Amino acid sequence: MASLSLEHICKVYPNGFEAVKDFNLEIADKEFIIFVGPSGCGKSTTLRMVAGLEEISSGTLKIGDRVVNDVEPKDRDIAMVFQSYALYPHMTVYDNMAFSLKLRKTPKDQIDKMVREAAKILDLEKLLDRKPKALSGGQRQRVAMGRAIVRNPKVFLMDEPLSNLDAKLRVQMRTEISKLHQRLGATIIYVTHDQTEAMTLGTRIVVMKDGVVMQVDTPQNLYNKPANLFTAGFIGSPQMNFLDAKVTPDGGLDLGQAGKVTLPAEKAKKLLDGGYAGKTVVMGVRPEHLNDDPEVVAKSNSVLDAKIEVYELLGAEVFLYFTINGANMTARVNPKTDARTGSEVKFAIDVDKVHVFDKETEQTITN
Amino acid sequence: MISNQTIKNSIDKLKSITKIDFSVWDLEGYIVASTQAKESVGSETVVQFAQSPADSQELQGFHFFKIRGEEEPEYILIARGSGEDVHMIGRIAVSQLQDLIIAYRERFDRNNFVQNLLLDNLLLVDIYNRAKKLHIEPQLRRTVFIIETKHERDNSAMEVIRSLYGSEEGNLITEVDEKSIILIQALDEKAVYEDLEDTAATIRDTLNTEAMIDVRVACGTIVDEISQVSRSFKEARMALNVGKIFYSGQRVHMYNTLGIGRLIYQLPENLCRMFIKEVFTKQQPEEFDEETLSTIKMFFGNSLNVSETARQLFVHRNTLVYRLEKLSRSTGLDIRSFDDAVTFKIALMVENYLKYLEKHS
Repeated sequence: MASLSLEHICKVYPNGFEAVKDFNLEIADKEFIIFVGPSGCGKSTTLRMVAGLEEISSGTLKIGDRVVNDVEPKDRDIAMVFQSYALYPHMTVYDNMAFSLKLRKTPKDQIDKMVREAAKILDLEKLLDRKPKALSGGQRQRVAMGRAIVRNPKVFLMDEPLSNLDAKLRVQMRTEISKLHQRLGATIIYVTHDQTEAMTLGTRIVVMKDGVVMQVDTPQNLYNKPANLFTAGFIGSPQMNFLDAKVTPDGGLDLGQAGKVTLPAEKAKKLLDGGYAGKTVVMGVRPEHLNDDPEVVAKSNSVLDAKIEVYELLGAEVFLYFTINGANMTARVNPKTDARTGSEVKFAIDVDKVHVFDKETEQTITN
Repeated sequence: MISNQTIKNSIDKLKSITKIDFSVWDLEGYIVASTQAKESVGSETVVQFAQSPADSQELQGFHFFKIRGEEEPEYILIARGSGEDVHMIGRIAVSQLQDLIIAYRERFDRNNFVQNLLLDNLLLVDIYNRAKKLHIEPQLRRTVFIIETKHERDNSAMEVIRSLYGSEEGNLITEVDEKSIILIQALDEKAVYEDLEDTAATIRDTLNTEAMIDVRVACGTIVDEISQVSRSFKEARMALNVGKIFYSGQRVHMYNTLGIGRLIYQLPENLCRMFIKEVFTKQQPEEFDEETLSTIKMFFGNSLNVSETARQLFVHRNTLVYRLEKLSRSTGLDIRSFDDAVTFKIALMVENYLKYLEKHS
């Protein structure tokens, strides 16, 4: 397996469109790294540049110690699993997995060894004689993975490999990929637009937007300490609530008619030290950090008054939807709540978990 | 046509099963393929047998057979040894080789037919006659995909495409130049353009992952008659060309979604130049700095929304307004108004097209 280094990687198309701008990343050996972001953010383009399927306009790409900018994909020691895979319909599972090796004129005995090893890893040994038609969706997906594994690559590149599967199978395959990473001990770069996939699979996540890296961090840190408004909004479901607020002279947040938020001393200091007193900032609070428990509300000095517009029971939790100062808000509360559609509810804000962002630069001031 | 190597492979396999040596000769007495290092039969004997009316003959410890393509003999097979068993095995070998010759001929004929069909080299009446002869269904829903590889003569791409689609009834696969593979796909009654786009994406992804090559896939419209296949091919070709100019970041180009790029592609070059001169009376597009270009692109990308564009460019709204006004002064076009934005967008695309023409002239 191998480490990767992407230094100042840019992609500019002939029509001048900059798909990827100054992308810098060091990927350690055996790391499971995720590129996540909305459609058109440059994540697939970056992956394709790593694969060699897209020319790098500027910058340096290294796999291990070797600069591979001008190396053909087949010579980069990588394997890919993409979204729209197809199995050869008239070939058995064995032949499907062996096909790319045959194309590369690998000796027969070596092919046999590699296919059987991959089949063992993927638990496909009993299905080697079957044709794709006789396989379930999950089994087919595993064969597609097998075709990559037989190459015994240094790096696996996966571009939304689960997008074409139904929701149930996607969850199942997510677990399989996670196990596979542990078994192979491989370096994997995985592209997805699905933040749940990103959060559950990655050891580190690269959040991208408009060709720019917004943040690179562990799933936990992205969730707890987003570096900017975009990451804060993109990571987490339901997404973080945002409200414009004016910073008070004592470092608190004035939400206008919705009330006031008293921030912990450390956060207040950061706002005042940054010269934000009197300025408008953006307050971010996750749905689970709004509490409607009357006992908690009674003790809190940062409370929001809201009229519930939608009540959604999900079994283990309840989502309450409401509007504050024209902004749509969500609270994730205990299913024992008395709140229902139309109820007047007070929410205590967990001020320790409040995030504050600069309104203009959208960068985090304090987490 | 069948190659000598294919004949050699075939008789080698027969020898490994039967332990009998074979050789195949042409009708003029030249050896085509043999399982032995040295031949014991003279060329004259072979020619004499070829000219005789006999279909098979035992001579000097060898069995001689004529291999016929359809009617006329094409090759002579010689099996070493005498007796009934060798005769029988020789006949089996002849049968196998005859089938191979016919299969290869039919494949060649089909390929030849398909290539001529795509390139409009056939009269309408010939299309139907030859299609019937080659067992190609004339009335069938079809579409044409062009798969263009980055490098010339990439055999692995052809292998992958044949393995994916070659076995499906009604599909035809061929090549018309060094870099393009053509797939004429037979479609069922329910197939719609979304399905074709999925197929194109599957071709792209499978070639990326299996053959590890970069490809562009273009697709024409759906046609119902074999005679219309060339139209679908031309559309796919146009989709490929237009896609390369206007949507270079994409790898799948569908003719039916080309939009305004298709229109511009068909405009004469002098008209395009006139249009650019008329639109950009003050500042020419090549004189725009990078900041102006990225502002324009972002503004169009955000459907002329000033606030959203400013947010995405990480600039203050007033800064963006200042930039747009500056652009308006230098070009005479205020892209905040829809009409001017349309003119500007088309002009930029025309400019792109002209650049492409210059680069490829």
